[in-house]
Amino acid sequence: MRALLRVLRTRFYPVLALFCVGLFTSGCSSQRNSNNQTTRTSDGKILINFWNGFTGPDGRAMEKMVARFQKQNPDVAVRMQIIPWGTYYDKLTLSLAYGGAPDLFVMHAGRLPEFATFDTLQPLEKLYATAQPPVQESDFAPVPWRATFYNKHQYALPLDVHPIGLYYNTKLFKEAGIVDAQGKPEPPHTFDEFLNAARRMTKDTNGDGRTDQWGFVFTWQRTNWLTIAGQFGASILSPDGKTSTLDSPPNLKALQLMHDLIYKYKVAPKPEGVDAWLAFRQGKVGMALEGIYMLASLEEQKGLPFAGAPVPQFGPMKAAWGGSHLLCQPKGISPQQSEAAWRLMRFLSDDSLIWARAGQVPARLDIRRSPQFTSLPVQAQFATQLPFVQYEPLHPKSNAIFPLIEPGIEAVLLDIATPEAAMRDASRRVNQVLERP
Amino acid sequence: MSTRALPEAIQAPPSRRSDGISGFLFALPHLLLFATFVLVPVLYGLYISLHRWHVLAKEHPLIGLGNYGAALSDDIFWIALRNTIYFVVLIVPLGNLVSLLLALGLASVQRLGTFYKIVYYLPVVISIAVVAVLWRWMYNTEIGLINLYLGTVVGWLRSIGLPLAPFEPLPWLSNPSWVMPSIALLTVWWTAGGNMVLYLAGLSNISDDYYEAASIDGANAWQRFWAITWPLLRPTTLFCLVFSVLGAFQVFGQSYVLFTSIQGGPQSGPARSGLTLALYMYLQGFRQYEIGYGAAIAYLLFAIVLVLTILQFRLLSNRDDATAKA
Repeated sequence: MRALLRVLRTRFYPVLALFCVGLFTSGCSSQRNSNNQTTRTSDGKILINFWNGFTGPDGRAMEKMVARFQKQNPDVAVRMQIIPWGTYYDKLTLSLAYGGAPDLFVMHAGRLPEFATFDTLQPLEKLYATAQPPVQESDFAPVPWRATFYNKHQYALPLDVHPIGLYYNTKLFKEAGIVDAQGKPEPPHTFDEFLNAARRMTKDTNGDGRTDQWGFVFTWQRTNWLTIAGQFGASILSPDGKTSTLDSPPNLKALQLMHDLIYKYKVAPKPEGVDAWLAFRQGKVGMALEGIYMLASLEEQKGLPFAGAPVPQFGPMKAAWGGSHLLCQPKGISPQQSEAAWRLMRFLSDDSLIWARAGQVPARLDIRRSPQFTSLPVQAQFATQLPFVQYEPLHPKSNAIFPLIEPGIEAVLLDIATPEAAMRDASRRVNQVLERP
Repeated sequence: MSTRALPEAIQAPPSRRSDGISGFLFALPHLLLFATFVLVPVLYGLYISLHRWHVLAKEHPLIGLGNYGAALSDDIFWIALRNTIYFVVLIVPLGNLVSLLLALGLASVQRLGTFYKIVYYLPVVISIAVVAVLWRWMYNTEIGLINLYLGTVVGWLRSIGLPLAPFEPLPWLSNPSWVMPSIALLTVWWTAGGNMVLYLAGLSNISDDYYEAASIDGANAWQRFWAITWPLLRPTTLFCLVFSVLGAFQVFGQSYVLFTSIQGGPQSGPARSGLTLALYMYLQGFRQYEIGYGAAIAYLLFAIVLVLTILQFRLLSNRDDATAKA
C-alpha cells in the first residue's frame, strides 16, 4: 500500500502534467479532412454524409429525391442529416475545422466566399470537365452559376434560386376592390399602385380605434431591405469590397421609404410585438414580401386565399433579393467519395422539379422552362424575377457585417434613429470589420 | 498484502505524509475533472485571446493584446457592457428584495410551509432554455398571457367605472427600453427561490429570544424587523448580494433564447437592447467564429467580475470584523 502511494507520489505529478499538455495540444491541432480515405458501410457501399438545413416540407422533398437516387445507385449509401439553419453553419464550420465534415453539404450563395477564402471547399473543375453527360454554364441561370465561383475556382453546383416575391391576400384585394376588368385581384406593379392598394386594405375592422388590418407588413427585414435598397440602386459595399457604401443616398432613400410606409403612410404596423408572418397567415394583412420558401407555410394555412407576384417596383430599377442553395464538397475528400457525392449532386440537379414543387426555383434552365414548372402558379411568378435577382454581397465577410447592419435597419423601422444616423453607425462598424485582416 | 494490511492500518496511526496523500487521492477525481473541464480550458482561452484566431483559418498569428484593444475600441462591446450593468443594477436589489420577502413570509407560515418552499423554489431547478421559451410566449405583445390578463383587468376596471384609458398591449420584448426590465422580471421569477432558501436559513439562525424580549419591551413588527432581523441577517444578505452580482454579470441564456430567430439563430434583441457581454462573446466566438476576439471579451468580463468580487469580499470581511469587534 505504501509502496503504491510512493509510486503515485513520484509519478503522479509528471503524469498529470503530461495529461494536461496532451489535452492542450490535442485542442490546438486541427484535424482537417485530409485523410483521403473512403468511408464504406459494413456491406461495402460508399457512404455519403449529406448535410442540409431543410427542416420543413423542403426536407421531405429532399428525402424523396435522395431515396430515388439510392435506388438508382445501389453502390452508394447516403446518410442525410437535417440541421436547422439557425445552428447549421456552426456545426458545419466546426466539422470543417476539426474533422467530421460531411461529404456533401448545402451552402448558401452568400456564405460561399467565406468558406472558400479559408480553403475549406473542394474545387470542382475536374468533375465539371469530365462530367458525362456534360454540365455546362448554358444549362444554368447565370446568377446562381456565377455564385459558384470564388477567386476563379468553381466550388459548387447550383441547385436553386429562392427569390423574394409579393404574396397577397386575394380575399382582401377583392374586398377592397383592387381588381382588374374581369374582377380578378390585381397585384400592384409600381409603388403608387402598391401604396394605393395598401391604403385601401388598412383599416380598423372592429371599430375599437386601433388599426387591425394592415395593407403591408415587414416580415424579414433583411430581405425586404435588400430588395428595396437594390431597387434604388444601393449597394452595401464598394465594388472592390473594401469599404461600406451603406450611408450613400440610394440606400438612405430606400430606408426612408420603408420608414414612411409605417409612419407617414401608416399602411404597415410598427415592427414591435407583431408576429408579422403569422398576421399574414391569419389573413389580417394584405401584402408581404417573403421568400419563395415560405410558400409551403401558406399552403398549410387552411382557408387563406393568396397568390404570388413579382415584387412591385419601388425604386427606379428592378431588383429582388434572392438566395441560392449550392451543393459543395469539403476540401480533401477522397476521390472515390467525391465521385459518388458528385453523382448525387448531378442527380439532385437533374431531378429538381420535385425540389421546385417544395417551393424553389430550379437553377437549371431546362427544368425552369418545362411545362411542369411553368404551371406552378407562385413559383413561375417569382421565377420571372431571376434576371435581376440580387444576393447578399458575395464577400468573405458578408456574414460578419449583417449583424452590424440589421440593428440599424430595425432602429429606423422602430423610429428610434434616422436613416442617416443608423447607417452612419453601421457604416463605421462595417468598415472596422473590413479593415480587420 | 491483503492478510497484513488491515491490522497494520488499524494498529499504526497513519503518518502525516500518507494522510496528505490519501487526502489528495480522495480529491483526485474532482481535480482531474476540474483540470480537464475548467483549468485547462481557462488557460487555453487566455492563450487563444492573444491570437487572431478564426476557427477556419489554418494559421493563428500571435497579436498580443490586439484583441483586447479591438474590444475596448468596439462601441458594441460598450453597449453590451452598459446593458449588462443595467441588468445587474435591476436584478440584484429587486431579486434580493423578493427573496427576502418570500423568506420572511414563509418563516411565519404555520401550515404547509414545505409545500410553499417547494413551490417557490421550483423555478430554480428549471433550465433557462425552458424558462425563456415559456416567458417568450407570455411576453408576446399580441397573444401573450400577461397582456391578456392585464387587458382583462383593465377592461374590468373600466366596466366598473374607473377612468382608465383602453388597454394598449405592452411591448415587453419588442421595445428597446422594455427589454432589460422584462429580462430582469423573468430572472427574478427564475432565481428568487435560490436566495430565498439562504435567507430562510439565515432567519432560522436568529434566536427567538430576541423577538420575545423585544415583544415584552413593546416593539411592533416593523421595529422587530428593523432592530433584530435586518442586522442579524446581514451576513446572509451580503453573501446573497455578492453572489447575485457575480451571477448577474454572466447573464446569457435569457437573451440567447428570447431573441433566437429561426432564420438567423441568436440575435441581440431590438436595437441591441438585449445584448449582454456574455452573449456578445458568444456571438463573436461562435457565430462569427472569431474565437480569439470572443476569448478576449470573456477575459475582460472575467476581469470585471474579479475586481468586483475582490471589492465585495473586502466589504464582507470588513463588516464581519466590525460586527465581531462590536
